[in-house]
Amino acid sequence: MFETYIKDYNEAVFEIDKELALEVVETAIQNGVTPEQVVFNIIIPSIEEMMAVIAENADTNLAQHFMTAQIAAEITEKMLAKFTTPPEVVGRIIIGTAYGDLHSLGKRIVMGCLKSMMVEVVDLGVNIKAEDFVDAAVAQDAQVIAISSMMVHTATGEDGSIKVRALLKERNLENKIKLVVGGAPYRFDHELYTKVGADKWAADGVTAAKIIKQLILEVKAS
Amino acid sequence: MSVRLALDITGVRVRAACGGIGTCGACTIKTVKGSFTPLTLAEWQKIPETEREDGDRLACQLYLKSDSEIFLHNPAPTSNWKSFDLQHWPDYHYPNFVFKNTFYAIAVDLGTTHIRLSFWDRNQQKRIACRHGNNPQVALGEDVLTRLDVQKQRGSDLQSLTQIVRDTIIEGVKDILARDIGEIKSILAKVGVVNIVGNTAMLALLSGQDGSQLYDPENWENHISCLPIDLQAWKQSWRMPNAEINIQAPLAGFIGSDILADLIAIDITQHSKPIMLADFGTNTEIALWDGNQIWLTSVPGGPAFEGVGLQNGLSADTGAIKAVSLKNNIFLLETIGEERAKGFCASGFVDAIALLRTNGEIKLSGRFSEPNSEGILLDNNNPYTTIKARDIDAFQRAKAATGAAMQQLLVLADISIHNLSELWICGAFGQHLNLHNAQTTGLIPSMDCSRIKLFGNAALSGCEKMVLSPNANKITDELRQRVHVVNLSHYPEYDDCFINHLRLKPFIGDE
Repeated sequence: MFETYIKDYNEAVFEIDKELALEVVETAIQNGVTPEQVVFNIIIPSIEEMMAVIAENADTNLAQHFMTAQIAAEITEKMLAKFTTPPEVVGRIIIGTAYGDLHSLGKRIVMGCLKSMMVEVVDLGVNIKAEDFVDAAVAQDAQVIAISSMMVHTATGEDGSIKVRALLKERNLENKIKLVVGGAPYRFDHELYTKVGADKWAADGVTAAKIIKQLILEVKAS
Repeated sequence: MSVRLALDITGVRVRAACGGIGTCGACTIKTVKGSFTPLTLAEWQKIPETEREDGDRLACQLYLKSDSEIFLHNPAPTSNWKSFDLQHWPDYHYPNFVFKNTFYAIAVDLGTTHIRLSFWDRNQQKRIACRHGNNPQVALGEDVLTRLDVQKQRGSDLQSLTQIVRDTIIEGVKDILARDIGEIKSILAKVGVVNIVGNTAMLALLSGQDGSQLYDPENWENHISCLPIDLQAWKQSWRMPNAEINIQAPLAGFIGSDILADLIAIDITQHSKPIMLADFGTNTEIALWDGNQIWLTSVPGGPAFEGVGLQNGLSADTGAIKAVSLKNNIFLLETIGEERAKGFCASGFVDAIALLRTNGEIKLSGRFSEPNSEGILLDNNNPYTTIKARDIDAFQRAKAATGAAMQQLLVLADISIHNLSELWICGAFGQHLNLHNAQTTGLIPSMDCSRIKLFGNAALSGCEKMVLSPNANKITDELRQRVHVVNLSHYPEYDDCFINHLRLKPFIGDE
């Protein structure tokens, strides 16, 4: 029975049919599946599978990419409200797009994946100044700052990641707060992240979420 | 239409130097077979007897009476410039407008990919000719940002993007003068005004700036000045000492004055009921008139609406598939110039997606029904008819951005699709668009097709009105004051709306 839910849910997500995906989850809950099982045994494996399929396929369908993360995040949020004990939160990140960049959808994919992996996300929105990233990370006690850039000049600009790195250094926060980046320019130049002072980058939402989770654990352990 | 004018619309043109009145003889061609109008007086005078007997005719005097075959033994050299069909253009009549010496006027619509221009005699209220050609800056970068980067590197030397595009515009003007009037220098001196509209980046580059203010987010909603830095030198290089060169200022950092020209072309504020206008292109601008103000925004269209950028994408040129229909499960392809298909222009691509969706080969999600890494071939014998998964994806994102923007503006203005009296589709994209198919894919709202109007060269038409109407400045200023620019990135719900519009299904509205 449980296998059927997984299969039906995967199919619905694959067809980016949000209503159907929600229906599958509702039915599962009515038939005794716990919200925890929905998140950990249906949704998370599904995103992973989905991202693997997308990564393998040269003809990446971005439309599907957006919707997968969106559906996952929405359902996870619904399920979290129903958890019997509050979920154990891995950590917290600050996310936003680089100064000068209004492209928000890449960030949204990563947020969807992070939420379903129990990472708390503080979204500052688009066109964020370097100071605001760092101030928010300190105020919210976040372990990671994630910056999305969809254009070369916002990825490499002096007011973007480069400045965030400089501020972290200046305020002696480099051990407490890690910096990750993502977006189209980094996919074209795999070394670009080091040039802008980031600790890591990732090509897709699931990988990003996994890397961020790993960094959070490292910061917490240190 | 004379043979010469018919050929002017294509890539093969006859030579010409007198404006088509039969006095220069440059357009001589040979008739091979078919039925033609009789020789005119000009032809009796211009063509020697032996050659007349051989079938030589003047293309500017010649009309076809049947399918015919002609031979161009001395065609004009290949040119960037073509004339275009003015059949569906509005007529403008403005009273009592007399200019002494500077009665010629030029209207220019400067696009990222194409340049359109027309040449007017203001005293006679007559359009002498129009041309469209490619913007040669494309070779230095297809999108606006790459070009701004190139301009920064090159500075203001002769190779700058400013110089390249100015040279191209004047070349187009000279093409008209040489072919349609027969004089160049003396006419240029009588040009009184050149009015130019376009997107912000193109106008900034034309004015000689490096466009760096466009990188600054603070400027996206502000008015951007595009005043030329070297007006006198510019006028001199164009040999137009008496011309006023007006670069119509963009409405904001990401909304050009081409959309302003669209709004003028359709007299948007004269309508008493709500109207929506969309100008599809690399950037798609959307305007909504609510009876009091104009809500205006811009979203990325990406390559899907210009044809270019798809696996087999073309701009609307010879050999491009402009329409697709389905008969007995076979795809019938209609190409521009009726040549063998070389790829899809946007309208043909929309048709293909709609038909593949209707017959079940593509699912609502945009995925192929059967796993298919090669893509779908519409004509098995022609590889240029392939549609790949990534093409459909690019289209989905472009149409979702547009649909979501339309919906967001409707929400802001508190108007429903049912209350829209008209939807205008401007830009070359709309010219061949099959409305039913566009609605099947959700590209445009599902509303009665009689309320949807197509206007291909609206920006050039509005630009012409700006140089012809005695009240042009007043109208333009009033419009500018009524515009309310909307930056969709300030609306988090736009993202949700975008995702909801990704599926290939009709856009009903009120969702």
